[in-house]
Amino acid sequence: MNLLFAITTGIMFGLGVFQLLRRDLIKSAMGFFILFTAINLFFLAVGAFTPEVPAYIDPATNQPIRDGQIADPLVQALILTAIVISFASYALFLSLINISSKRYETVDSDNVDQLTQ
Amino acid sequence: MQSNIFVLGPVFAPLIGAVLTLVFRKNNTVQRYIALVAGIVAWLCGLAVLATNIQTATPQIYVMGGWRPPFGIVLVADMLSALFVVMATTVVTGGLLYAVGCKDNSVTYPSFMELFLSMGAGMSGSLYTGDFFTLFVFLELMVISSVCLVAISDNSLGLEAAIKYLLISAMGTLFLLLGIASLYATFGTLNMAQIGQLLATEQRPLLAQASAAMLMSAFLLKSAVFPFHFWQPDFHTTAPTPVHAVLSSVVVKVGVYGIIRMTTLMFTVEADAIKSVVLVLGIIGIFFGSLGALRTYDAKRMLAYSTFGQIGFILVAIGWGDPLTQPLALAAAIIYAVNHSFVKSSLLMLTGVVSSRTKTKTARLSEIGGVGHNMRLTGALYMLGGLALAGIPPLNGFISKLAIVQGGIDAQGWLALGLAVGGGIITLIYMMRTWQLVFQKKPDGKPDLKPYGDSTLAPLLLIGLCVILGLFAGPLVDVSTAAVSQLAEPEIYIAAVLGG
Repeated sequence: MNLLFAITTGIMFGLGVFQLLRRDLIKSAMGFFILFTAINLFFLAVGAFTPEVPAYIDPATNQPIRDGQIADPLVQALILTAIVISFASYALFLSLINISSKRYETVDSDNVDQLTQ
Repeated sequence: MQSNIFVLGPVFAPLIGAVLTLVFRKNNTVQRYIALVAGIVAWLCGLAVLATNIQTATPQIYVMGGWRPPFGIVLVADMLSALFVVMATTVVTGGLLYAVGCKDNSVTYPSFMELFLSMGAGMSGSLYTGDFFTLFVFLELMVISSVCLVAISDNSLGLEAAIKYLLISAMGTLFLLLGIASLYATFGTLNMAQIGQLLATEQRPLLAQASAAMLMSAFLLKSAVFPFHFWQPDFHTTAPTPVHAVLSSVVVKVGVYGIIRMTTLMFTVEADAIKSVVLVLGIIGIFFGSLGALRTYDAKRMLAYSTFGQIGFILVAIGWGDPLTQPLALAAAIIYAVNHSFVKSSLLMLTGVVSSRTKTKTARLSEIGGVGHNMRLTGALYMLGGLALAGIPPLNGFISKLAIVQGGIDAQGWLALGLAVGGGIITLIYMMRTWQLVFQKKPDGKPDLKPYGDSTLAPLLLIGLCVILGLFAGPLVDVSTAAVSQLAEPEIYIAAVLGG
């Protein structure tokens, strides 16, 4: 994992946690998405990641590479799945916030509090 | 290693059923019966897998798409996961049977059965799966389906509880994913058997221990254990009755399964640290849950708190247990988990039957006093369920309490044992108090009740199962002991998956 990736992942993780803990529900939904992206980035960076070389084919000879110089294709497949899942959760979250903002007329989570009574 | 086609059943029969219910979305009756048939097929496949497991004493696997593990995805049914899947599919089928005779509005929505089935598929899948990323996918399927089911509940507070749970569970799945990424960074594989093999032989890098902590917190969150518990009573209480029965009994057991799998197959060196944490959290859970159930205002909420307490008992037994030196305590945890699922789901269904007779469909203790005065059968079943939950012979709860006490004596955990038994007595108090209030008390004046409520067929069958498991406890105890002896030798699991 190179330094740029490490710093970016760290900043995004911190940003995501901070936003997730906000009172505004929409901001916390965005924090959730940022956090998910940070983890996807972490996943990408920890795989054998050499950004210049494509996964299977050598650009010069147009032959498959076999000497371990390629980017790990498995993490890319995993991240695609994780992106789809995170997108579904995010969409569901926003739709629930949409309904609740109509019902409670606020997106402040301190005022969505009928369960405590 | 031969692939066993029946392993696919508990995962894919509900998924196929879910697609079919969407095709027939105009006709609610057809939807209900398709869902019920899919549940029964899943249950039968689960039973077949368990039977093959007992017969051959080797884990059954299914290699997806023919890609050889550790490169492909593999479903593994060893004795433990086969038993847990039988438990899960039994309760899901019971929930579907209850939903067929349920009078709630939410059950008639076109997407209800589809979501219910995909929740069941996610649960079976996360119990069967042999690699971590598939576990993540199935857990998310389960979480998203259950959030949707609670959000469309008849109880208008369901929406708020769903938002709350989605936020918290999203955080949990993020940590699960981070733990998975750390494992992949460390070992370059996601296959549980291969990770177990590498952890047993190689010296362990620091990132592996960090990922163990992250996986632990994700599983504890799924089981609603003490520091992560606060969403559970709200989320479970506001769910529709059939969903509540599944959520409060088997969905919380997925985390328990994950903890058992982690401590026996993979992180065997870190297991002692994990177990001592789990033991303390279990004791806190027993008291927190039982005392919460004692002073709550709603019969469904009381049972949700009670689940929190009962999970505590299972965790205490896991904390004592070790497949090699303390097999009895670990077997007790498995027996307790299975028995508690059947008792708790039937009790929740019976509470739903009672509250479906009131005009507002409430389960508040101040409003359902005396509602069940003329419901003889429901009252008798609730009595049996309450006694089973408290651990009175000859019901199955007694067997699990006995196993826990035996395990505690074997492990010489006297302090924890005393606290657990003391906490268990509270169960009897709150169950009997509620039973008296709902079924014994004469209603004040003429109660304003609906003539028909939900059907009692599903809780009748589940309580029957509880009585049978109490009178003939031998088979379950034998299967649990065999499961523990299989867990004692992770080589069996590894050899079955990797073909070593």
